Amino acid sequence: MNHKLELRNLSKTFSIEEGEMMALEDVSIEVKPAEFLCIIGPSGCGKTTLLRMVAGLDHPSSGGIILDGKEVKGPSPDRGMVFQEFSLFPWLTVLKNVEFGLEIKRVGDKARREIAERYIELVGLRGFENCYQYELSGGMKQRVAIARALVTEPSILLMDEPFGSVDAQTRNILQEELLRIWKRTKKTILFVTHSVDEAVYLSDRVAVMSARPGCLVKCLDIDIPRPRKRTSVEVNEFRGELLMLISLERSKVCISV
Amino acid sequence: MRLPAKEKWLWLVPLIAVLLLWEFIAGYVIRDPLTLPRFSTVIFSIYILRELVIPDILTSLLHFGIGLALAFAVALPLAIGMGWFRNVFKAIDPIIEILRPIPPLAWIPVAILWIGLTHSAAGFIIFIGAFFPILIDSYTGFRDVPKILLETGKVLGCIGNKKLIKYVAFPYALPSIATGTRVGMGVGWMCVVAAEMFGVGNYGLGFRLFQKFYFLHQMDYVIAYMLILGLVALCVDRVFRYFVEEKLLKWKKGIVK
Repeated sequence: MNHKLELRNLSKTFSIEEGEMMALEDVSIEVKPAEFLCIIGPSGCGKTTLLRMVAGLDHPSSGGIILDGKEVKGPSPDRGMVFQEFSLFPWLTVLKNVEFGLEIKRVGDKARREIAERYIELVGLRGFENCYQYELSGGMKQRVAIARALVTEPSILLMDEPFGSVDAQTRNILQEELLRIWKRTKKTILFVTHSVDEAVYLSDRVAVMSARPGCLVKCLDIDIPRPRKRTSVEVNEFRGELLMLISLERSKVCISV
Repeated sequence: MRLPAKEKWLWLVPLIAVLLLWEFIAGYVIRDPLTLPRFSTVIFSIYILRELVIPDILTSLLHFGIGLALAFAVALPLAIGMGWFRNVFKAIDPIIEILRPIPPLAWIPVAILWIGLTHSAAGFIIFIGAFFPILIDSYTGFRDVPKILLETGKVLGCIGNKKLIKYVAFPYALPSIATGTRVGMGVGWMCVVAAEMFGVGNYGLGFRLFQKFYFLHQMDYVIAYMLILGLVALCVDRVFRYFVEEKLLKWKKGIVK
């Protein structure tokens, strides 16, 4: 019973014009402390919904989410979230963005600054503290978002395709950086992606989901020692297996459509 | 904004051209100071009237200040309500839209009956003029806060409307509030003449223009005061823009050039 996060028989239906749409059906996953878990699946499989429910932004229609032994009821800074879209507050500088969660928690000015500086350093943005969002590149914005999510010391980090809107080269760099940050902070990370390469490179375990309604197809342990090589034989084997699983799921959708 | 010297003084050329043209047409084409006095006569009139100009400007600014402060104080809380809560908007919007098209001039009898011939009555007319632009631009700002920023606020600990408004919606709406205020200031200033027309005191640019000069057919004085009305508004707007755009909305620079 030493699970960090437990998703128990999670289902979610949305009401739409034609009635009800089942987005997620009976998903159960257990996440171990400090585990890096990727959730992958064809688009529209409800993986983002799943993550949003853990964040407390959506509520499950049935089932429960238990984090550190307590049921998740709404959003809280004990779950850090990095969105796919750029989400920096444009009126705040990098430093103020990172400090934001601490300001809400009413941490004193000096302590706030110290902690924020530490995380800015961690994501490699030293020297950019006083920049506004419009002065930053896409990759830098996501680095700030990561620092901002970590600053309140959340017990889990939720990432919703965080590198989806940056270019391929930046994406590779950010992945390496994320692994370094993960190693240093020992956070549990729940990472949603549609990229098989990303999932295999990053995670300890990959949860593959089926298309609508999304349910868990298979959990795959990626037991390749780190640092991983993106082009190694083992990595390719896992990629092949995952790609096969996903295309199988995708083909089911095509038939049903 | 740093411009090369040539661009910096570009505005001076057409200005001088227009003034010369005015001088020429008035002096050699129309040749009737009752229809159009010459520019040089008007400038001389300002010199003659120098004892009156400053107290008149100050009195008008007092009326303007009363009206604008009141408009801002009423419009802002209402804008937060209308922009943030959809039901408040639905409930109040029809009332606003009925009142909005009523010209400030039409309120003069009401102002006299309710408030009497006081500075506050003049302020009230200006309030009517300035109120709606401030309200409408401001509630648009509060209404259009991007979902992603609100959700980011939530996961970083802004629980409840009060915190979300304070930390996310208000800073986001600030540029809209500034725009509305600027437009409202313009409309409010245009109401100064009307507000002082019915004689709330013995000073004021509008009072002097309408109650004294016009009845005496002193066209050069009328035009002198019209120019002063324009110049004061220009100064007020420049000061407002300097403080708001250069200081408060620095982060907007990248968004609107």
